[in-house]
Amino acid sequence: MNTQQINPKNIYYPPGGILLWILIFLELITFGAALIAMMVYGKQAPEMFHTSRLHLNTTIGTINTIALISSGFFMALSVRYFKENNLKKSSLFLKLTMLGGVLFLVLKGFEYYEKMVIGLTLGYNTFFTFYWLLTLFHVIHLLVGLVILAFMQRDLNKNKTKAKLEDVEASAAFWHMCDLIWLLIFPVIYLIF
Amino acid sequence: MEKSLLVKVWVLLVLLTISSALVGNNFPHYRYIIAIIIGLTLVKFLGISFFFMELRKAHAFWKTIIILYLFIFSTIAILIF
Repeated sequence: MNTQQINPKNIYYPPGGILLWILIFLELITFGAALIAMMVYGKQAPEMFHTSRLHLNTTIGTINTIALISSGFFMALSVRYFKENNLKKSSLFLKLTMLGGVLFLVLKGFEYYEKMVIGLTLGYNTFFTFYWLLTLFHVIHLLVGLVILAFMQRDLNKNKTKAKLEDVEASAAFWHMCDLIWLLIFPVIYLIF
Repeated sequence: MEKSLLVKVWVLLVLLTISSALVGNNFPHYRYIIAIIIGLTLVKFLGISFFFMELRKAHAFWKTIIILYLFIFSTIAILIF
């Protein structure tokens, strides 16, 4: 069985490529700074942040977190099978990865609908301004990730030589970045206030 | 071998997510409770970056920088509360 390898110990070749890791750190710093700002505002108006937080459905937030974690797990398996040239299983796990992402978006859409119906929109208060901006920005990343994965799936289906390990690892790293961002958003928005 | 390790990490991450949701919903939000929730988040973050993203096989620079990021984020978060 042929295996494809890139030496990840080289500082210039982290899994996914150096440019993507620069992007990942920039994204983490941006979201991290916004979450810190939210915590600072929350400290100044604890009652309002606590009451607003109670309007959120923690069960949906938890299921969404599990969906993204599972999606990341399937992505990791898809990359491992790709490295072993087992494209059939790689493709199967890639589909499951996308399914996890779609489940997240469906539940998020339901949650957004619930909030809009009762008037908890962007301008309702500071908590919901942060809620909408942070989660919508994350959703946009997820949509971009799904488009990238759909192209990867097309390449896997079309021709085994079309998909390259560098591209697969870069797509996977972008998808995992969405997981990482959500892991920071989830406790700050749904749990700590 | 590596795939079974991924399964173990995945199960751990799911359990930690459920635990943090239970802690966040059922305990008063004292500083140490928030520290526990942030701590669970850090473990999950490391699980995804080191195992799913294979950062544990990468150059030490990338591991150090992600740990440094988490250290700064969590320290600021805990200091705020």
